[in-house]
Amino acid sequence: MREAALWISGAAVAFLATAGAFLLLANLGTGPPERNLTPNPRPSESGPALELTLNEDQLASLRALPGQELRVGVRNAGGKDLSNINLTLEVSSENTALSDARYYRKTIDELATRGFTTVPFYLDLSSPGITASGSPSAPSPEPPRKIIEVRATTPGGVSAIKTAIVPG
Amino acid sequence: MLAAALLLVGGCLYPSEETSIPPLPAAGEGVDPGLGPEAQPLSSGPGDKGSPSWSPQGGRIAFTVDGYVVDRPVGTGDTRRWTTKDFVAEEAEWTSDASLAIFGAASRPVPTHEVSRSVYRARSGEGSLGVKEVATDVLAMSPGPGGKGLIVALQTSAYESELAMLRDRGAVDRIYTSTVGGRVTGLSLSPDGRRVVLAVRVPGGRTSFELHVFDLEAGTRRTIAQLGEGLEIFGAPQWTKKGICYVVGKEETPGSGGTEPLYDLYSVTPDSGVPESTPGVGEDFVASSIRVSPDGGRLAVIGRLNPKAPINLYVLNLASQDLEAVTTNEDMEIKTGPDDLAWSPGGKSVAIVARGILSEEPRVRAAPKGALLEDFYNLYEVPVGGPEAGR
Repeated sequence: MREAALWISGAAVAFLATAGAFLLLANLGTGPPERNLTPNPRPSESGPALELTLNEDQLASLRALPGQELRVGVRNAGGKDLSNINLTLEVSSENTALSDARYYRKTIDELATRGFTTVPFYLDLSSPGITASGSPSAPSPEPPRKIIEVRATTPGGVSAIKTAIVPG
Repeated sequence: MLAAALLLVGGCLYPSEETSIPPLPAAGEGVDPGLGPEAQPLSSGPGDKGSPSWSPQGGRIAFTVDGYVVDRPVGTGDTRRWTTKDFVAEEAEWTSDASLAIFGAASRPVPTHEVSRSVYRARSGEGSLGVKEVATDVLAMSPGPGGKGLIVALQTSAYESELAMLRDRGAVDRIYTSTVGGRVTGLSLSPDGRRVVLAVRVPGGRTSFELHVFDLEAGTRRTIAQLGEGLEIFGAPQWTKKGICYVVGKEETPGSGGTEPLYDLYSVTPDSGVPESTPGVGEDFVASSIRVSPDGGRLAVIGRLNPKAPINLYVLNLASQDLEAVTTNEDMEIKTGPDDLAWSPGGKSVAIVARGILSEEPRVRAAPKGALLEDFYNLYEVPVGGPEAGR
């Protein structure tokens, strides 16, 4: 009886030692690390505090002439009133060899939360047709399109941007 | 027993090495420009881009933008301008990791089709946007053997050309006295670097083209193919391991319902002199521009499977005659100029130029102009598999 108990306990010890050895070896292996599949939160999930709108019908009515009116819509979609909103509008050609960019600036003093306003710009969209060197530009199968880029920024770092591509 | 029990428990506990993964791109932020999910942009923003050329090590790509020349890293990094904006470059080729050979004119107005250009040499790091004219009256150019120097075809009279070899710094290495009776319109080097194939417009009443092979060591030249009247060779013929491939333009026959010229892909071996339709592309294939892979075993072809199919980039395995579409064009205009595609040095990618279909209506985007892609012609890198695919 005592001999049988010794055999059983010996077998159990041998089993546990072998299992432990294998588990130790398994732990020493290079299994793939477990990954947390939860994506990091995006930097600004709350949406833009400033929204710019450009009316496509009005954009379509623009002509390659001076004095073209374009109204830029500005909405404060955030939860705080905004002040000193700087609007910068750049008109350029899609032909980057032309150095004909024109810049326009306006400032909105105050815009309450959920408030909306339109800011008129009077643009010179005429084409000089002159290259950087002063010589006529290359003939193109289609007239270069105008690019109107509008940026709105506040001293607090809130910003928005819209770019319109207008056929020439 | 206790140690064994601890090991048993410990072994069941996997190390909790928590690794965060970056957030998924927002809707519309992912880059699928309409050429297939594999295509990756190499440029952005306004400007009519063209003539891509990979640097010898493959880390940078040079291209033309509205006539001037820029380059930028293939990954992220700033664009670097090589010429002033009044330059009219048609092609730029790297002659070393720090220098470009630029084919074009230093100022506008743009030369007409028949007028010869010059080759200019520009070096990076000189900071002055200065270029040096190293050859005038140039009709065509190609990188020299081993990517060293340049081979240029020079116009000597209204219908006579000659070849010259230029060193990297632009000095003339050799002028070949065997003249070519006609205007060279394109040239490319053989895979062994010992010969060049020339597309030559020969004098005559109607358009007439010939293919010539020029031995760079012996300085001898021979005509290997003559095209019929009204047919022209489009771009530079490409010398592959399976012969010389070239695109032939022909007018559609009257009454066939269209007026657009069709372009067929032909092959000829230098010894046979008998052109045949390039096997593997299909008889309805319309080729626009071609470029041989660095190992000579594959041909990148911009074209259509038939006249009504969309333009795509295809890679033809010349040994197995397999044609694989490597873009899936969805309403994109892929540029079809003869220099508007380029292989990466390792033969794993091809750069092409494309933009979205033009709209007659204004478009408004919520991004700065410099980040816009499909609104303007931009460069895209299209993976095409490794060089082994060409064996």
